[in-house]
Amino acid sequence: MGFIKLLGSLLILFSTTWMGFYHGSRYSSRLKNLVYMEQCFKMLETEIVYGATPLPEALHNIHRKGNRKISFIFRDIREHLMEHGRGDIFYSFSSIIKPLKDDLHFTAEDIELFLSLGRVIGSSSRRDQEKNFQLILNQIGFLQEDAKDERDKHERLFKNLGILTGLAIIIILL
Amino acid sequence: MGRKDLVTYNNILKYICMDLSRVLEDVPTQYKKIIEEIRLRNGSPMNIYFNNKDYFITEGGALTNEYRKGILVDKEHIDETFQLISNYSIYAFEEEIKNGFITLKGGHRVGIGGKVLYSNGEIESIRNISSLNIRIAREKIGVSNKIIRYVTNNQNTIYNTLIISPPQCGKTTILRDLIRNLSNGTYDSNGRGFKIGVIDERSEISGMYNGIPQHNIGLRTDVLDNCNKQDGTMIFLRAMSPDIIAMDEIGSISDVKSIHEILKAGVKVIATVHGDTMEDLLSKRSLGLLIEDRIFKRYIFLNNSRGVGTIADIVEGDGFTSIKELEEVSIWGL
Repeated sequence: MGFIKLLGSLLILFSTTWMGFYHGSRYSSRLKNLVYMEQCFKMLETEIVYGATPLPEALHNIHRKGNRKISFIFRDIREHLMEHGRGDIFYSFSSIIKPLKDDLHFTAEDIELFLSLGRVIGSSSRRDQEKNFQLILNQIGFLQEDAKDERDKHERLFKNLGILTGLAIIIILL
Repeated sequence: MGRKDLVTYNNILKYICMDLSRVLEDVPTQYKKIIEEIRLRNGSPMNIYFNNKDYFITEGGALTNEYRKGILVDKEHIDETFQLISNYSIYAFEEEIKNGFITLKGGHRVGIGGKVLYSNGEIESIRNISSLNIRIAREKIGVSNKIIRYVTNNQNTIYNTLIISPPQCGKTTILRDLIRNLSNGTYDSNGRGFKIGVIDERSEISGMYNGIPQHNIGLRTDVLDNCNKQDGTMIFLRAMSPDIIAMDEIGSISDVKSIHEILKAGVKVIATVHGDTMEDLLSKRSLGLLIEDRIFKRYIFLNNSRGVGTIADIVEGDGFTSIKELEEVSIWGL
């Protein structure tokens, strides 16, 4: 009997701890992904401003060179663009809102910034594009700081909360 | 021939926004093969142009002269089309936009109208695009076959030649085919091909796209794309050792200087110019000099009295007498 109780308690503890860690890790993964995103944006800027590479090709290059964790979104945008060919790039950018949110743990603010790139990219001269990129990179810096704060605040909290909730449940049940 | 024209037309539709290309798809096939221009203007009905006439297109794809029935083009259509034309990368076409046109794959050209922005006295860009003119390039291979014997001479070289025509009568097409013939050496069975340098200031002769000529300009042809005639002349003469230099639409004093440079180097010239008659040419100061100096030995006059590409006259350049033996028909090989 005691053995089953112990097993049950451990099971509860494991699952709540896992939940706590999972929830907490969303914050650090958001931060990481924002950093990768910044790198990809910088690469994209170089392709556009210095290389004057046509956008579909530039997106392809970022997919190849960028960090694997997030570079798939550039492939998806390109594919969407080529497939639909509506002459509207913002439409293709907004087609990947779901993976941004679910897979990369981006917040509404992050996604808004990402979409704001979709509104301006490709649609003006190189000098203009450079300015837009600067603005967006600047903002992504703020978002990273925000993500860092959030992580420091919440990651520990959720992890501890997971363990403690598990312990609390076990005590109540025992 | 007809099939190829149809394919060309369908390729063009990829560059036009969906709302409008759907309508253009429904245009009767016999027109698809001959449409020369598709014009989009902000707030006006879509306009197509062929055989010197223009038509509007109804919602169902029928041609009409009544503008009220034509499908209206709005700002979104123009913006979307422009995005497609520039491959979503307006920044990559900055130089082309400054010149007022973009060359598409296939050598087709899209003229741009809009608000011109200046910076430091130079055109910086064109914003707020208000009209697009999609000119469908239809290569006419073989149109110069009948006139090539007027241009070549027995000493295995050619005469300096000037092609004169009003707009839209086929001067660039004839020039391109002359270049192809001379470059390939197909103008007579044992003829050698000439090394030809093409100064393609407006990307019209070769239709260069990503460094690949989209038109057949022959085996021994080198192209300087988007290059002005003075610079192009110097570049070619320095190290490309051409037998012939070809250029489109001469007219300015600097063009005349370039031609003198070319002649000094013992290279032959083929050029085109806007105009109607010899008197018309003489009245232009810079060209008048060239003509009076007897620099050109052959003048080929085109018009469209019997359809685009009618050879109106061929004049030799020493005594200014007509040497034309052809009948007056369009050499478009219809």
